[in-house]
Amino acid sequence: MTRKRSFGADLTARQFIEIDACTQCGECLKHCPVQVVTGNPAISPPEKIRLFREFLRTTDGLKARLGFPAAVDPRLLEDFTKAVFECTTCGACGQNCPVGIFTQRLWPTLRKEMVQRGLGPLGIQKGMPGAIERSGNPYDKPAADRFAPWFPEKVEVAERADIAYYAGCSGAYEAQPMVRGDVLVLHATGEPFTMLPPEEEVCCGFPLFITGQHEMLAGLVKRLVEGYRARGVKTLICSCPCCVNIMSRDWPALYGRELPFKIRHITQFVADALKQGKLRIPRELRETVIYHDPCYLSRGIGVIAEPREVLRSIPGLTLLEFERHGLNSRCCGSGGAARKVFHENAIAMGRLTIDEAVAKKADRLILSCPACYGKVNEAMQGYEKQIRITDIMELLALVLEEERPGAR
Amino acid sequence: MVFVKETTLGAGVIAATYVAIAAFYVRLAVHALRWYEATRRSPPARPRGVAASARALTATAVDIVFLRRLLLVNPALWLGEWAFHASLFMIILRHLRYFMHPVPDWVTWAQTPGWIAGFLLPLALGYIFVIRLLTGQEKFSSRANLLMLMNLLAIAITGILMSTRYRVDLAAIKLFALGVVTFNPAAPPTGVLFLCHLCLVVVLLLYIPSHIFTAPLVMMDARGRQIELHRVIHDA
Repeated sequence: MTRKRSFGADLTARQFIEIDACTQCGECLKHCPVQVVTGNPAISPPEKIRLFREFLRTTDGLKARLGFPAAVDPRLLEDFTKAVFECTTCGACGQNCPVGIFTQRLWPTLRKEMVQRGLGPLGIQKGMPGAIERSGNPYDKPAADRFAPWFPEKVEVAERADIAYYAGCSGAYEAQPMVRGDVLVLHATGEPFTMLPPEEEVCCGFPLFITGQHEMLAGLVKRLVEGYRARGVKTLICSCPCCVNIMSRDWPALYGRELPFKIRHITQFVADALKQGKLRIPRELRETVIYHDPCYLSRGIGVIAEPREVLRSIPGLTLLEFERHGLNSRCCGSGGAARKVFHENAIAMGRLTIDEAVAKKADRLILSCPACYGKVNEAMQGYEKQIRITDIMELLALVLEEERPGAR
Repeated sequence: MVFVKETTLGAGVIAATYVAIAAFYVRLAVHALRWYEATRRSPPARPRGVAASARALTATAVDIVFLRRLLLVNPALWLGEWAFHASLFMIILRHLRYFMHPVPDWVTWAQTPGWIAGFLLPLALGYIFVIRLLTGQEKFSSRANLLMLMNLLAIAITGILMSTRYRVDLAAIKLFALGVVTFNPAAPPTGVLFLCHLCLVVVLLLYIPSHIFTAPLVMMDARGRQIELHRVIHDA
């Protein structure tokens, strides 16, 4: 007798145990940004786990194993799919879980199961694999426009170098001041760096991973890793937290072995350059700024101190903190590829970030994620509260000698 | 104490006890089978450093024994939850005297603390319920959690009544309990309070949440992950 596809077919043993371990206490709800803006407990983390347990029972429970699988209510499956895709996968629930469930990886796995069952992804997410196949990026923009509109003319890219820079699709197409800042700061360190040509610098795989569409992942990763390997790269630098997260956590498994280079977030590289004296900041900036920790950078891979080191290295700058920062940072609303499907949620979450930054009287809101950059800027459109939004490398480039007004 | 050996009630109580125990083990086996199947499917986890593992084990012991993660996120609830878990542990230790012969010293030593814990447990449960209501958290809690809380409260109250006001024949209870675990069941005592107490425990066994087995494992993993977080992209 053949059993129906298990709802847990893609779950690891650890994730099975995590699903069993949820105590349904509801502590996570206080920290869930989607809960804050929707107030709907039906899409809360414990409710998702409760429903998934029911689904598991229908394919992996005792009755199912004895040859009597139960049917799942299609309406429940639809509700669950919506709930799991409405999540921003920020991981705040897991960070504040009294048990410690690793939700930043559990939710994407549950999304993958819904994709396997033809229920997900949702809306615009469905077009991602096709767009990446055609154009190399999830936005379906031409490769010719990947670097050309923003890449500084004075910066030269080496054919081969120990260091490579990966701009990433969101930065290159949706947060160009950010990636321009990255390149200017890298240039200012004096270290030669290489990049893949625009048609070769394809998607890192994160949008596919996070929406549960895994078919193309290994191919993309192999293509990128081989590209950098051929250029003799020893350290791959990127500013996008989502890219850096998948590169460091999942690329080795997708590539099939250890990567031939190290992965570093740009703030790590710059913080080191500042310590080593390779980068000097020649002028002060008398401003008060507030820094927002991107979820996939702080909770995801523990890069918390370096952005602050970079900001504190700017003379005259006063750094403020959000109430929830570091490992406890609050999602700005753009995570989990939900921002374009659940637009209103994302805008509402972004405005919470703006509200706090304005309330603390910061001159600028400093971000270090292209998704945050795009969505929080969007959230400010037509909003009564306004603040200057600047990427961390954009700010640093601004205060570097070469980037003085009139020096370009 | 009147015995009801070979009566329908006595046989029913014994059967219900065995069914509940069997259901508990079957449920555990089904869950273990899922974990085993997933282990065979999944790639092996990346090994963690020896230092990290040793450190993780020590810190995890603190996490589990003191429910540290809950303390960090909700200190008010933690107070009740920790008191509840500690009391339950002591009460279980105290009850081991019914299932062991001879009774080891460490179980004997646990009798007085276990007796005190018997009074603390319902207080802790009441406190948890009030805190959840006050923080509006109960609306997010599952009905199973509420049912379990009420069930535990009823078990605790019947237990207190038996140890204070309505004394029961402990020797008869021990004969019954030992009989159950040695598959040589003796007739259960027929005291109404004891039967209620036993039935409530049987009901609890039927739906005891799986997190009691898995939560410590996840806490251990979470601690390890926290230690490893700073090695994901940083040089160790």
